[in-house]
Parts: sequence; C-alpha cells; structure tokens
Amino acid sequence: MKIAVMSCIHGNYEALNEVLIDIDRHSAEKIYCVGDLVGYGPYPNEVVKLIRSLDIPTAQGCWDEDIVEGLNACECSYPSLLAEKRGKLAHEWTNKEVHPEVRQYLAQLPHTLKENNLCFVHGSPNSNHEYLLPEMDAFAALERVLASNADVLFCGHTHIPYVRTLDSAQLQVKVHQPQNKEERSISFNAPLKRIINVGSVGEPRHGRPNATYVVYDTETEEVILREVEYDYKKTCQAIIDRGLPPIFAWRLARGLEFAEKADDPTHVCER
Amino acid sequence: MWAILSGIEGNLAAYEAVLADIKRQRVTVEELYILGDLVAAKPESEKVIKRIQNPLSGELQPQVCVGWWEEQCFALHGLGSLAEPTELIARYGKQTAKLLWDSVSRETVQWLRGLHFGFFELDCLLIHGSSVSVSDELTPQTPPWQMLDRLQRVQANSLFCGRSGQVFECQLQSASIATSVVTLDNKQPVQTVTTLQKRVVGVGNVGREAGKATYTLYNPKSARLDFKTVFYGCQKGFGS
Ligand SMILES: [Zn+2]
Repeated sequence: MKIAVMSCIHGNYEALNEVLIDIDRHSAEKIYCVGDLVGYGPYPNEVVKLIRSLDIPTAQGCWDEDIVEGLNACECSYPSLLAEKRGKLAHEWTNKEVHPEVRQYLAQLPHTLKENNLCFVHGSPNSNHEYLLPEMDAFAALERVLASNADVLFCGHTHIPYVRTLDSAQLQVKVHQPQNKEERSISFNAPLKRIINVGSVGEPRHGRPNATYVVYDTETEEVILREVEYDYKKTCQAIIDRGLPPIFAWRLARGLEFAEKADDPTHVCER
Repeated sequence: MWAILSGIEGNLAAYEAVLADIKRQRVTVEELYILGDLVAAKPESEKVIKRIQNPLSGELQPQVCVGWWEEQCFALHGLGSLAEPTELIARYGKQTAKLLWDSVSRETVQWLRGLHFGFFELDCLLIHGSSVSVSDELTPQTPPWQMLDRLQRVQANSLFCGRSGQVFECQLQSASIATSVVTLDNKQPVQTVTTLQKRVVGVGNVGREAGKATYTLYNPKSARLDFKTVFYGCQKGFGS
C-alpha cells in the first residue's frame, strides 16, 4: 500500500492544496500528517478544516501544542534569538486568529501515531521540540527509532526532507555486578531501521520555495521524496495582506530559514 | 583516586560510615563526588547537609550535584522546572511530600539550588540520573542503545550515575553501524560509524538500606573501578 506523509503545513493553504493533488496523482491510499498545521502562515483555520474534512490522522506538532498550551516552551524551541522573536510574533498572530473549535482539535492531537511497523511523530519520540537532523550521531538516531518501537520513523520539524538508513548496528555489552561473580557478555544487533523526514508542505527550508512531502510504499519499502511547485506568491501576498511579519513572505519565497542552527538540537525543554 | 557516592537520603550514620571507610583506604582519595539525593523525606536530612557543608579538618570538600530528591524539594518550594511535585506525590504520596517539606528548610533548599547538575571531568560525566534528566534511571537492564545515547549526547566515554542505587558496570564495546542519508539534492554513500569503548557505572547508594552502604572508587589514570560495601550500625563487624 502506498501512503503519503506530510508535515509542517503552517497555515499555507495553497501549498496544501497542491500537495493533495500530487498525492492523488501518486495514488496514495492513505495520508498521514505529523503536525504543525498552524503558525507562520496566513490560513490556520482553513488548513485545519481541510485536514479534518479529509480525516487525515495527524500527530501534534510543536506549534499546535504551543497554540493550545501557550508559549511556555523555553527559548530552546528556536534555533536562535532572532528566530525566537519572529516566532513569537507569529505565535501571537495565530493565537488571536484560530477559532475555538480549531484550538480544541489541536489540543486533542496525539503525540505519536503508530501503524504496524511505522511510527509517526513531529520532532522525535522524546518530544515534538527535538530536531532529528540528518547529521545527528548515528547511534543516537538509531536509539530514537528503537524507542519508537518501529522500523520506520516518520518525522518533520526540520522542514528539510531526508531519508536516513541505519543498518547492521552491532554492540557488545559486558555487565559486571559485584553480587554476581561472573561477567555477563551480551551481543545486540538491530535490523535495518530508517528515519524519514518528510520536510514541510508550507514552510520549506531546503533552498527552494516548493512544498515537500513523502510517498512511501509499505510493500516495496520504496521512499519517494516529493517536491511540488505551487503558487507560493499567492501565499506570500496573503502573509503581507493579513498582517503577518513580511519576513515570513521573504523566506517562504526563498525556501530558507537563513543560516540558523540550534546550538543543541537534542535539547528537550522540560519547562 | 576518586570516591563517588550517591543517595545519602538523609541517613547521617551511613554517610559517616562511608567517610570513615574512605579514610581507611590505602590509596589517597583526591576527589569526593556526591551525585545527588543528599536529602530525602527523613528528619536527619538537615544534619547531613550540615555535615557536607562543613567537612572536618583533613577531610575533602565534597563536590556535590543535585539528585531526584533535591529536584522534588525545588518543586515543593516552587523553585524548580516543575510547577508541582507531581512525580513525588505519584511515587510516594502526599504524606511523604509533607515530610520532605518538614525535613528540609527553605534555607537549605536555597543552598541546594546552587548545586551543579553534574560534573564533566576528563572524559567522564558524573551525574545523578543521566544527560537526559535527574529522573532518568539507568540500570544493567537499560537497553544498551539508550545507554550509548546518554553517553553520545555529551560525548563522554564514562557515565557515573546513582539514580537506580545499584552497583554495576556496563561496558559498551565495538559498537558499529552503517548509515547513509539521501536528501532531495544529494545521496551520501554508506558510512560505517564506530565508537570507542564506553561504559556506564552505577555507583551504588549510601543511605537507602539501613546498615549497608555502597559506593565506588575510581582511578582516572588506570580507569579501574573498585566497588565498596560498608556495613555499619547494627551489623557492625561484617565489613567487606
Ligand atoms: Zn514546523
């Protein structure tokens, strides 16, 4: 069965529409979404309405959570101070804009979706604020997939799609406890695991303005990273017309989030 | 040589017994680390703190970091990252929360607030729980990938922890993994990644079990470990 997985729509209705058409073309039977329906973009209510009308199983993103719980995450959610300031503006705008039933819907979204050997999260199994970057330590990356109890871990949050293969993992463990005279030696092997980051429909950061998402075939295990053109200028105009910070239109048109990197992407906010 | 202990849990007699045992060692102990849980919901907690703050002449000044019980004190006093001591109440109930409140003064809590979260010395992380949190409990049963992750997060080769109270050493050897990344614009070839030998050490617990304390001696030059058990009080005379 072919499935489509998407993330980080961020109130970009135009992009979502075009991605849905592209999903149809690929005859994916089921669509999953790993969150961030709102934030940055001009149409949070409309995006949520469309996702709900199509009954798309959705995991909660960090933006969805923050709109519900208030911005109580610490500055660690943002890669830099500048990003934080901009993020706060977008948060205030979205917070004013969303309808009560949209807020309610976002509140009840689960942290994790599970389907057989597939797991769907926004950030990581630990937190929807954790970034699983492609250059993350391979053992740490493997630990995240193992923690999800799946073979394939779908995530978003970084807005740049990738497929990471983690194979032939081996580890030898020697356990010594004073109450047991003998040392125990155990070998651990992990079969092939994958992390599939599905990119971002509405706020891409791979260097082009196009929407990205992923088609996955559960039988052949083939992954297709999709890049879909849409009329991003329309969204840019709406960002400005609706009174969001113009910087969001600027970066949407370029598919960039400047050169900002989180200091410690694995940092999990405990606040 | 380093002496590493954890979990005094307001048991002054146990702490005294361990200090005496450290003095008895033939090798000199140059550093004394206490990996949290100095206090617990025990009336003697204040006395333990006073003893740690004021070592006798000739004794080492202990290097102390916060543990789970300290974190609960912060929550009780509204000073921590947690708004409510939910974990404390869920585990031990309201009665214990009240007892902890009565056992540790506000002034002491302020002092505890100034403690480190852990220590990074040479290639060793010394911490109560793990690099993830003070509640993270590593035991010999913890999946080894998880242990490796806790080490990799801070790029340590050894992690000394006290949360479980158990005494153990888990050596993680010859870890390897083949990894590759495909992006929209790039296909990176498969790389095999390996790690150096690493280990997680449970340093034991001083005060939880009456009459029996455990702690760890570590020689950072030779990387040798020596697990110590001290019997005291009612069972005096059984020393190991
Ligand atoms: Zn996002």
